[in-house]
Amino acid sequence: MERLWQIEKVNLKHHVLLHFLVCVLLLGISPLLMGVKNLTAVDTAKVLERYVALIGIIMLTPIFLPEQDRDIRGLVYAKYTKASQVYMVRLAGNILILAAFLGIYIFVLKQNQCEFPVLKYYFGVFAEVLFFGGLGLFFYGVSDNLIIGYMAPMVYYIIAIGGGDKYLKMFYPFSMSMGKYEEKICLFAAAVVLTAIGIRFRSVGDGVK
Amino acid sequence: MFGQLFIKECRQTAKSLIYWLIVLVLIFNFATQLGNMDIMQKPKEGQEDYGYKQSDDKNMIMRTTLGQLLEEYYRESYSTYPIGFYKSVTLNDKEDKQIEEIIKETTGLSGRTETRKAIEKWYAAQPKETNAEGALVLRKSMEAEPVEGLTFERFEELMDEADHILGGGSGYEEVSRKSASVPMTYEDAVEEYRKLTEKDRLTGGYARLFSDYMVIFLGLLPVFLAVTRELRDKRAGMQDLIYTRKGSSVNIIASRYLSMLIMLVLPVLALSVIPLSQCLRYASASGISADIWAYVKYIFGWLLPTIMTATAVGMFFTELTDTALAVLIQGAWWFVAVFTGISTLKGGIYGWSLIPRHNTELNWTGFHDNFSQLASNRIVYASISIILVAFTAFIYNQKRKGRYTVSWKGFGRLKK
Repeated sequence: MERLWQIEKVNLKHHVLLHFLVCVLLLGISPLLMGVKNLTAVDTAKVLERYVALIGIIMLTPIFLPEQDRDIRGLVYAKYTKASQVYMVRLAGNILILAAFLGIYIFVLKQNQCEFPVLKYYFGVFAEVLFFGGLGLFFYGVSDNLIIGYMAPMVYYIIAIGGGDKYLKMFYPFSMSMGKYEEKICLFAAAVVLTAIGIRFRSVGDGVK
Repeated sequence: MFGQLFIKECRQTAKSLIYWLIVLVLIFNFATQLGNMDIMQKPKEGQEDYGYKQSDDKNMIMRTTLGQLLEEYYRESYSTYPIGFYKSVTLNDKEDKQIEEIIKETTGLSGRTETRKAIEKWYAAQPKETNAEGALVLRKSMEAEPVEGLTFERFEELMDEADHILGGGSGYEEVSRKSASVPMTYEDAVEEYRKLTEKDRLTGGYARLFSDYMVIFLGLLPVFLAVTRELRDKRAGMQDLIYTRKGSSVNIIASRYLSMLIMLVLPVLALSVIPLSQCLRYASASGISADIWAYVKYIFGWLLPTIMTATAVGMFFTELTDTALAVLIQGAWWFVAVFTGISTLKGGIYGWSLIPRHNTELNWTGFHDNFSQLASNRIVYASISIILVAFTAFIYNQKRKGRYTVSWKGFGRLKK
């Protein structure tokens, strides 16, 4: 346990700060760009699904970044602690940060008299956050290219914006603003699968083959 | 030297995975949005409907806009969409007074009491219809009579002022005023068809529609290619070796930039052959003199400045920071441009958006009347991108000379 906490401490100290600040900026400027007061359930869902969920791409995609350099990766993979374990700790830490960000944002919306079912929206958007992040993480892990990692969820987002419910079906990320929720369960399942494959793929060469 | 570098860079791009992913995304976008494109047939008399057109009835625009203003003023709450998302605005006393003045000048009504009476009177005069569930249905939204002698120019000035007070994105801004749609008559539809086939020579209208769909993706995708290319040498550990080569920094950066532009334009040109051939077939069967070069003109005139800008942003910020920051910057720019552009889909309202929209093969008039605005927009973005590339070459040169290094130590990492 001590070892895991040490890994997370290094992550927080050296790798998370910049991404954390970008998320703070993204969420902090939202009242200037859109309404966060007295919103109906549909308008609240729009804000959460189309804007707030983007923090998943920022926080989860670059999980493998500290070992981007192949020499460093070789060194890390030679250590006693498995790289996959390091990735899992980082992932868990960043997911907790995302959960906190989302919780605070939803609390502020509720305080601002927005009318929506809090828990339902919280878990729905959280599934979407994990999906966008998982998609980025998967493509980064498979291609060994951070930019492709960012590109995949952003392209997915654009397709969804451009009337994507027709093509994305049960993986349509903005379903709550259309009054549907089943898609969120599929997104959560896909997030788990994508994240697991991404980490597994990245850990090849680390003795977990 | 430049030619050799250019060919080398084109080869590099052709070998990169991200380039082919971009091509795939463009193909997907084309297939899903324009794959089943139907060419507009000549309207026939007696059709059920002929679609909608933007209203150019100045009196109607004034009545509906003022009606909305009265209602929102009375409610003391204004609906705005600054970047496409709903935002409710409540004004302070000073701003409320300013709106009151505008209402007085445009409708002659003074204060909330008179406004309330006007609203009640209008609703009382509406025919009472009920739907299947027995609920009251109103066929029209609130309208207010403009005061006698109010010119349309003065009305526009005052509505711009009201929009400014509300912080933009309100129902009183130019875009919203122009976007009022009315059903087309048979004569309107024939006139639109005539403009499409004669003024636009068929292919012009469809090339605009093609550009509208492609520009959404081309406002973002090039940044991924540019960032990957800029980080490639560093990632491969070849940066220092390349720095010592004799090619000038301007040549290296310019050839890299030009090669990416050409490689990005090529798949767009290739995709345009499909709708072009469709248009040419229809034109030849209907005796229309189509413009065979229309797609090329629109790709270079409409799409290229957007591609240039997204690529230049990618190169500049990557060279400046040695990070993927450009993805975030271009992503944010794309987000704002796309969501604010939702209200301009009908075309003819191009403003200064990086992603100008015109989501119809029709509305030649809107395009024609606002062509100078669109041209200025495109020239400005092409110029900005060239300036950014010049700065990129400057930074690159400083790095080669060892005068500029990027260090993110102690501030987290977003490297490579």
